[in-house]
Amino acid sequence: LNAAPVRAPRQRVRFLPAPAPGGGGAVELVAARVPVLADHPLGKGTAGPFPLPGPGETGTGSITVSVAVRGPRFKKLKIGAGHRLDVKASGVFVLGVGHGNKLLTDLYNCHLTKVYIVGGLFGKATDDFSDTGNLVEKTTFDHITREKLERILAVIQGTNQKALLMYSNIDMKTQEAYELAVKGLIRPMGKCPPIITAVRCLHFALPEFQLEIHCLHETQQYLRKMVHEMGLELKSSAVCTQVRRIRDGVFTVDDALPRTQWNLQSIQEAIQNCQLKVETELEKTLG
Amino acid sequence: RRGLGAAAGPPSTRQLREAEEAAPVFQYAGKAAKRKDRVFVWGFSYSGALGVPSFVKPDAGWKKPRRIQGTPYRLETEEKISSAACGYGFTLLASNTRDITKVWGTGLNKDSQLGFQRSRRDQTKGYEYVLEPSPIPLPLEKPQQTRVLQVSCGRAHSLVLTDSEGVFTMGNNSYGQCGRKVVEDEIYSGSHLIHQLKEFDSQVVQVVCGQDHSLFRTKKGSVYACGWGADGQTGLGHYNITSVPTKLHGDIAGVNIIQVSSYGDCCLAVSDEGDVFGWGNSEYLQLASVTETTQVNVPRHLPFKIGKVKEAACGGTGNAVLTEEGNVFVWGYGILGKGPNLIETAVPEMIPPSLFGCSDFSPNVRVARVRCGLSQFAALTNRGELFVWGKNLRGCLGTGRMEDQYFPWRVTVPGEVVDVACGVDHMVSLVRSFT
Repeated sequence: LNAAPVRAPRQRVRFLPAPAPGGGGAVELVAARVPVLADHPLGKGTAGPFPLPGPGETGTGSITVSVAVRGPRFKKLKIGAGHRLDVKASGVFVLGVGHGNKLLTDLYNCHLTKVYIVGGLFGKATDDFSDTGNLVEKTTFDHITREKLERILAVIQGTNQKALLMYSNIDMKTQEAYELAVKGLIRPMGKCPPIITAVRCLHFALPEFQLEIHCLHETQQYLRKMVHEMGLELKSSAVCTQVRRIRDGVFTVDDALPRTQWNLQSIQEAIQNCQLKVETELEKTLG
Repeated sequence: RRGLGAAAGPPSTRQLREAEEAAPVFQYAGKAAKRKDRVFVWGFSYSGALGVPSFVKPDAGWKKPRRIQGTPYRLETEEKISSAACGYGFTLLASNTRDITKVWGTGLNKDSQLGFQRSRRDQTKGYEYVLEPSPIPLPLEKPQQTRVLQVSCGRAHSLVLTDSEGVFTMGNNSYGQCGRKVVEDEIYSGSHLIHQLKEFDSQVVQVVCGQDHSLFRTKKGSVYACGWGADGQTGLGHYNITSVPTKLHGDIAGVNIIQVSSYGDCCLAVSDEGDVFGWGNSEYLQLASVTETTQVNVPRHLPFKIGKVKEAACGGTGNAVLTEEGNVFVWGYGILGKGPNLIETAVPEMIPPSLFGCSDFSPNVRVARVRCGLSQFAALTNRGELFVWGKNLRGCLGTGRMEDQYFPWRVTVPGEVVDVACGVDHMVSLVRSFT
């Protein structure tokens, strides 16, 4: 990063006092573009040759040339993490770098859904709902059919849809609430418990099954608990074998960088590719 | 201090695997595990219509009387209930069993709409309020062979349809709605009289009660009516009382009607070709698409261009139809389900399918049934979900809230809803458990 060429200093508009054309000591304000002092090559420190400022370029009178600060421009980077992903889960994990951390908070306030692929196994129940925990009980599962599972999924979706409408804090008696409900755009914009907006069974081969879950404000352990409860509802038991996040708001697996590509070039490309998507989403939701 | 027999450290992977394989397997679902049929009720309970006596007269010290049951509550029944109907403050539950007791009634019985319920305190008098589903004794000729197909309830009368012994009527007959001659100054309370109707052109396949009139649909596709006619709801061409079921003509003469519906003073009929016919009260624009008059006493064809209609439901002031594609259209007056701005319309308006759960994610959701209460609507989807909307009179919507609902809202029922019956201030649903 330190070897990369330095960006040109940002310009900003300042109103500078300048002698009025009428003369006689009156001073009027004139708008002029000046480089921001923070980016000044004499400021935080640059390596290599730097231009000296001319007499009319600064806003606070002339500057005395002092000894420039030398050294690497970047010593540490501020990296912020997006929505949590726990140790046993995998998938898309959003990080913000430098000024991107502010965008992270904005994205959090958008309350966009995340999509997970959750794999489960019937016939076992463990104490932490995943297949690596201590075994609590084993049950039969031959009576389970895909139809029964889909019925349970439909009910889960139904109750969660209701929760979605209730926590969105909109007065149900208004015409605008009706219109948002028709378009399906009602979503909670504040604090709310985990809500599953959509579930679908992707794969069903006893004893294994795989679900695609769209959710809000959840934790991975909540999803594992959901798998366990589904097992109980089907008069058997289930453990969660896999939790993989495939979409987090606007970021999908295609945008994500695997371990082999954690280098500056790919990161810069990825940031540039996602910039437009993030901006449009923020504008659409937060206005 | 560990004993000499215990292991040194945590069990190894191999030991864990062996322990797991040796663990016993529990079986929770038996071989013959079938989905169970249940009945859920909700709404105003003080009339006894919910069939739970402890809501009205608590049987334990800690229980308090519950005036309104806001969310679905399970009602235990002895038999599997195949048909349910809600009247004005009372409920009828029927099972298609061959046992002697086929119909149970609960709620208001001031006009003997639940038959004669012998009081235990005074053997000559009957109960005016029945708090628990109690058997209704029907005067059947072959009680161990006849099956009850369907029941229907109006304001103060009820109809019971059997497969081989015609229709039984009971309750108030001051307008001839029970299909027998009106007797001056008849006292309906504590009456043992249950009338049997058999004279129709063919077997009766559906019975419907309006507020004070009765409609009968026969296998041949014709419709008979009797009862009060001041709004033209009998459809017989006059505004008088009819005390004998008489066949309707008008625009439905010769048409094969496959479904009739009524609950207030307006009636709708659907033909096998998907056309809708209406007659009766039109003060709330129910029939304003064909006529300006507020009472229509002859069935008129309603020329709606909404596609082939599969089912119709009539409420007190609003009507709803379901088309073959699974869309719901509403018109009339009141809370119609399209937000607070739509209060009245004479032309059917479609309720967007997205409100019933149809979205890009689940595009196959369709509405399978529509039902109407006096001022509320209910819709069942093909996934077994129940949506309600309308005026929330004494908690009858079952949403858990007391506010009116201006667009379809899901009712959380622990099971797949198979059928629902709407009354004035309570509802009954027939539900099948998930597994």
